[in-house]
Amino acid sequence: MKKIFQVALGIIAAIGGFVDIGELVFNTQAGADFRYQLLWAVPVGVLGIIVFAEMTGRVAAVSGRPVFDVVRMRMGLNVGLVTLVASLLINLITLAAEVGGAALVLQLLFDVNVSTLILLSVMALVVIVYFVPFGGIERIFGYLGCALLVYVAAAVHLKPDWHQVGRGLVPSWHPSALYAYFLVGVIGAALVPYEVYFYSSGAIEERWTLRDLNLNRANAFLGFALGGILSIALIVVSGEVFFGPHIQPGYLGTTALGAQHAYGEVGLLLALLGMLFAVGGAAVECAFSGAYTLAQFAGWEWGKYRRPHDAPRFTLAWLTFFALAFVVVETGVDPVLLTEYAVIFSVVALPLTYLPVLLIARDRTFMGDHANGLVGNGLGWLYFAILLVVSLAAIPLTLITAAGSH
Amino acid sequence: MDRIDLVYRVLDEQLVDVDGRRCGRVDDLEFEGDIGDPPRLHAILSGSGTWHRRLPRPLRAFGERIFGVGVSGRDVIHVPWTQVDDISSVVRLKVKARELGLGQGDERNAMLVGKLPKS
Repeated sequence: MKKIFQVALGIIAAIGGFVDIGELVFNTQAGADFRYQLLWAVPVGVLGIIVFAEMTGRVAAVSGRPVFDVVRMRMGLNVGLVTLVASLLINLITLAAEVGGAALVLQLLFDVNVSTLILLSVMALVVIVYFVPFGGIERIFGYLGCALLVYVAAAVHLKPDWHQVGRGLVPSWHPSALYAYFLVGVIGAALVPYEVYFYSSGAIEERWTLRDLNLNRANAFLGFALGGILSIALIVVSGEVFFGPHIQPGYLGTTALGAQHAYGEVGLLLALLGMLFAVGGAAVECAFSGAYTLAQFAGWEWGKYRRPHDAPRFTLAWLTFFALAFVVVETGVDPVLLTEYAVIFSVVALPLTYLPVLLIARDRTFMGDHANGLVGNGLGWLYFAILLVVSLAAIPLTLITAAGSH
Repeated sequence: MDRIDLVYRVLDEQLVDVDGRRCGRVDDLEFEGDIGDPPRLHAILSGSGTWHRRLPRPLRAFGERIFGVGVSGRDVIHVPWTQVDDISSVVRLKVKARELGLGQGDERNAMLVGKLPKS
């Protein structure tokens, strides 16, 4: 019973932690521009992250290897270095976007100078991360991020045309670069790599063993799939509220108006609270992911379960990530624009981390009886092909559409 | 020990000392033996000072400037093969990292981090 309770709590945290600024930006814009027509991109992205995260969790539980350990070992130094540099830059841009997003939400709540709020956000995140244990951090942000479930309620409350919603979930194609750009963006927003680095390193932090393989499956399948419902709700609400009057949600606060439309002030407050903790949690995951990747690649001691003194370079790395993100956001760059670039570049670099994980997950030398079976390999290679296509299309589409602006 | 594929199972692996402390990676391998004789694995080399030698040739000079030229005891540590205890998902050593000069970066920064509260 206790185990089931633990699994349930983990799943709730995964739901609340699934959505980050990438979904808030891309899914809202996709709904505003194409109503329900891009809904099908959500299950494509969600199944992708389920496949990827399940493999990384299994590899961590069986062989004790986190993602960047696998990258270094399977891809060697040269490709590993390229992957490392790309991942660190993407992590930094994403972290800056999340911190900027948190400050913008706080500004809507408290009407204080945004520059001060950026500083306060970074300081609060650093203090929480430094003093709260790993499991606590995951749960604080995961549970409070569940306030975003107001979007699921709003999506039902707004009485959309369910027939149209159902048709949106069936893959379709429109010969438009903007449609393709948002297709890449919605898939990419679900498949952000830092979540996977964090998930796999977290499995090592929590000392997963073979006995945790079911927990891994439950977290990956249920947590991410239920989180995907939130993603779908964001598009449905946006399609209902912004598509008709041609409103462009270029400002993060506009996303919250969808919930207000359904439930007034309470809806708005729940949406803002959920957004605050969703982007705050994502910021923590990004900073940790940056430190994990660096430490694992170089072979340093790492882990939140270690005292800072016992993993000093790891500690300095995540502190430095927060400091750098603070500098980036204080330049006044728009967090929404940062988010778009973060998601697009993540998509471009994704095959570099996905391939080594797939190669290890199917290798019986390292995984024994827990290596990918026929279905696991089939899905694994199918998603590698999808990721390659999406990765190659991402930059040209960004240039053609000027990052989704026309 | 059975036959072992060094590139597949040892190169780029995590080094862990006798206390379970992560203390670097297998960045290169050093062999000894005269030409014509069978080479013998002599030592594991660990440290970023080895990295430039593994980069594509046009990038090696740049790599030296970024990662170090390979000064023994500083940016390259020789770990005698005889000090390897076990090869599993990590390369486990028989001794403490400090005795071999591994993990110096963590030790240097531990002083700084040690000044933080509750560290």
